[in-house]
Amino acid sequence: MSSIPSPFPDPRGLITSLREHAGKRVQTWARKRQGRDPVTIRLKPGRVYILPTGVGMVFGLMAFAMLLGSMNYNNNLSFVLTFILIGIGFVSMHQCQRNLVGLELSFAGADPVFAGQAIRFRVAVSNQSKSARYGIRLYGTNTSSDIHDLAPGESKIFILPVATVTRGRIALDRFGVRTLFPFELFRSWAWLHMDISGLVFPAPADDAPQPPPTMVAHGHRQHDARGEEDFAGLRKYNVGDSPRHVAWKAYARSGQLLSKQFAGADTSSQWFDFDAIASHDVEERLSILTRWIVDADRTLEDYGLRVPGAEFEPTHGEAHRRKCLETLALFKGGQT
Amino acid sequence: MRAKARGTDGSLLASLPWTLAALVISVAPHVPFLPVWITAAFLGCAAWRYVIEKRRRTLPSSWLRAALALGCFLGVFGTYSSISGVGPGSALLIIMAALKLLETRKRRDQFVLLFLSIFLVMSSLLREQYLWSLPYMGVSMLVIMTAWLRMSAGESQSARQSFATGGRLLLYAAPLAIVMWVFFPRIATPFWAVPIDTSQATSGLSDTMSPGDISSLSMSNEVAFRVSFDGAIPEPRDRYWRGLVLTRFNGRSWTGRDPGIDPNARDQIEVFGEPVNYEVTLEPTRQQWVFALDVPMQWSLSQTFMGPHQQLARSIPIEQRIAYTVTSYTDYRISPELSGMRRNWYSSLPENSNPRTAELARQMRAEAGSDRAFVEAVLQKLNREEFYYTLEPPPLGSNPVDRFLFETRRGFCEHYASAFSVMMRSVGIPTRIVLGYQGGEVNPLGGHLIVRQSDAHAWTEIWIDGLGWYRVDPTAAVAPERIDIGNSDAAFETFGEAWGLTAPSRLLHQVRLTWDALDAKWNEWILGYGPDAQKSFMERLGMEDPTWRKMMLTLVMLVVGLVMLISVLLMLRYRPPPRDEAAVLYGHFVKKTGLQPKTGETASVFALRARDASPLPARTVDTITDAYLDARYGQNDEAAFERLKNAIGAMP
Repeated sequence: MSSIPSPFPDPRGLITSLREHAGKRVQTWARKRQGRDPVTIRLKPGRVYILPTGVGMVFGLMAFAMLLGSMNYNNNLSFVLTFILIGIGFVSMHQCQRNLVGLELSFAGADPVFAGQAIRFRVAVSNQSKSARYGIRLYGTNTSSDIHDLAPGESKIFILPVATVTRGRIALDRFGVRTLFPFELFRSWAWLHMDISGLVFPAPADDAPQPPPTMVAHGHRQHDARGEEDFAGLRKYNVGDSPRHVAWKAYARSGQLLSKQFAGADTSSQWFDFDAIASHDVEERLSILTRWIVDADRTLEDYGLRVPGAEFEPTHGEAHRRKCLETLALFKGGQT
Repeated sequence: MRAKARGTDGSLLASLPWTLAALVISVAPHVPFLPVWITAAFLGCAAWRYVIEKRRRTLPSSWLRAALALGCFLGVFGTYSSISGVGPGSALLIIMAALKLLETRKRRDQFVLLFLSIFLVMSSLLREQYLWSLPYMGVSMLVIMTAWLRMSAGESQSARQSFATGGRLLLYAAPLAIVMWVFFPRIATPFWAVPIDTSQATSGLSDTMSPGDISSLSMSNEVAFRVSFDGAIPEPRDRYWRGLVLTRFNGRSWTGRDPGIDPNARDQIEVFGEPVNYEVTLEPTRQQWVFALDVPMQWSLSQTFMGPHQQLARSIPIEQRIAYTVTSYTDYRISPELSGMRRNWYSSLPENSNPRTAELARQMRAEAGSDRAFVEAVLQKLNREEFYYTLEPPPLGSNPVDRFLFETRRGFCEHYASAFSVMMRSVGIPTRIVLGYQGGEVNPLGGHLIVRQSDAHAWTEIWIDGLGWYRVDPTAAVAPERIDIGNSDAAFETFGEAWGLTAPSRLLHQVRLTWDALDAKWNEWILGYGPDAQKSFMERLGMEDPTWRKMMLTLVMLVVGLVMLISVLLMLRYRPPPRDEAAVLYGHFVKKTGLQPKTGETASVFALRARDASPLPARTVDTITDAYLDARYGQNDEAAFERLKNAIGAMP
């Protein structure tokens, strides 16, 4: 670890960077050559690439050494063995490529996740041929699916998990499908550039402030935000919750302070308002709103969402939750 | 932590047995050549490793493995005192495989084991190339490739499927291998010389002869060489295969000179009559002697010269089976003139050895009156008096010739040749002893002559003024049938009796001859496919003036053609099945909508369009699309297919 910079580039680093550079160039070239793919595609021979693996190189070297040995000893039986090995090399090259050619891939969606979670892109791979295909794997940058085999006529969903950091629409610009079958001597692969994306909701804030107080629903009676008629579930204890509502039994069991939530006969509801949150950071506000929505959804409360440019009347349910979170995920406006 | 890193979880149970099988099948041909402890160590490690995997135990510690490795390598070095050559090399490979087994944890570790087993197959082929070596190699490769697939192919492949896939890929590779084997240019000279196996005893002729020291002659039925003649096979009495010539006698042993070139040796031969043309396929001897019918005049083997006693020798030892053509003349005369110095050299005897023999010889010579008459008298003495031909003579002490002639009177060719020569030399007649083979068995199936180790023979040449070197076979005087029918049948009879066979022995003999004929063809066509054989085969295929360039070009073109053919075969294997009925029905629906599906548009996306833009009611579109998707990609496709059929039928 000397601080004097070496006048020569580090050879290993150089090779790595050269490889990366070359890899990028090849990928760009492939992207240009292939163009944007439709969401369902059958792999044509022209787009399945193939190169020997490390094992394949060792195998080749071994065959070469055996050829020299056979020539040296003029031993016709070891010539036979050597040529069988070389023949297997040729055959496995074609077999490896054919293992991919004709596969049908189609995008099968991706369930939305919260930022920070891995989004799982689903790709249906189907083998519309008379022979089984073995050892198929999907991969992307820093990720890969499990390896699956496909019987004749079989389709399987491959899952490609991709880490997410920020909210919004995450696109899977490029992914690959590859195989090492039959002998791991060759790796054949295809790059796919489908119009694939998934939705990433903002991450729910860990230390969100209290949600705003509940508005009167239909009011002859000023009612506490959480009516006491029907027990509806538990939520995290917030400072200010009535001690009468603390679930002491649950506390004894788990050591966690939880408050009981009640669904009143007259439904309570609350408005989550972007502008009402005392924070200057847009992302933080979205994060807080997400937390409120997630919690409210869990306790089956009605809630409404108001963000600049959009407003959803209080209600509950999966569709409502989804609409709200989607709005937050794709939120563009707002001031800093 | 360390213990955990050495733990096994049984994940190799699918592939490990096959890897072990591949190793065992590739080690097996080496076993007869290996010290027992190596075989035992290998089998022990293999069984140990299997038990570890089966019971989910931990692998041995690295200390134990290092100690084992050190012990084994020292053991190999101690056994062979060398690490080069096929013997110690294979032993090392086997030890490496055994030790590697003990540290194999992951599937991929098994690559090393499979590479080792391929090398072991290769080294067993360097050692032995029998007729069954080729099918055995095929089976070994099948097991190795199956093991390879067990290790690298998908999880869902059963052992049977792996076996079938391995077999199929080998079958595809076979024509490629054949084409490459035929057309790959063979070269005559090796790049470097490595002894094939020094630990193996040489079979063949010894270059000294001490009758009386060995008290029995091995009756090995091993083939020494095979001969195919262009014309008729010479009579048994003319089948003297000249090997080496011994000229010095020290009272006990006859020795010769190292093989050397004598440019004048051939000029001293005068030949008469018709030449005999033939091809000899000589088994490796690790010696330099080249055998030819007495007396050779032309030969096709490179680096081969005639020595001063008209014997042929090669400047490098014969490590592999070789074939060469020779032209010989059975009617000849060698060196009618011999200088006085040479006469003395060829008739010298050590002082005071075998005195009774010398005395007898001088006495008989005086009685005979001439050299020729003396030779006749000695042969008659051997013939008339009680001399017995036996392969198990009693040992003779010092003055072995005296003891043989006057006491034991039992011996084989070497005893007679030696005794005869000593008698000749005692009266000053130049003599030399020729070692080689005599006779041989004709294989009626192959039409060739088989000469076995048991046909090894010793005879003498005496120099008579005016005749030159003249062959005299004293053994013929004692056991003429030894010369007339050869040794092989006699050997066979003993063989048959030893096994208590009488009538079936003929049948057995036939089987043996058939096998020999096959073996001869195998040697000629497969093992003997060298530069010359390749050249003539290319010419027979119609290639004019075959050079290595032409052969390589043909090879490349044929390989490319075959690879394309294989590619087509694979394409057919993976072709999609005929469009199924669901798709056909769906096609009717698409037609009815009047819309054109876009490329890549899935059925569900198409349905969205069809609902708005087609004359069909949205309900119908949905029903048909759902049924179609279920029928093609769903679980319960039979029922879905019925629904689809009904929905299509119900279309307005």
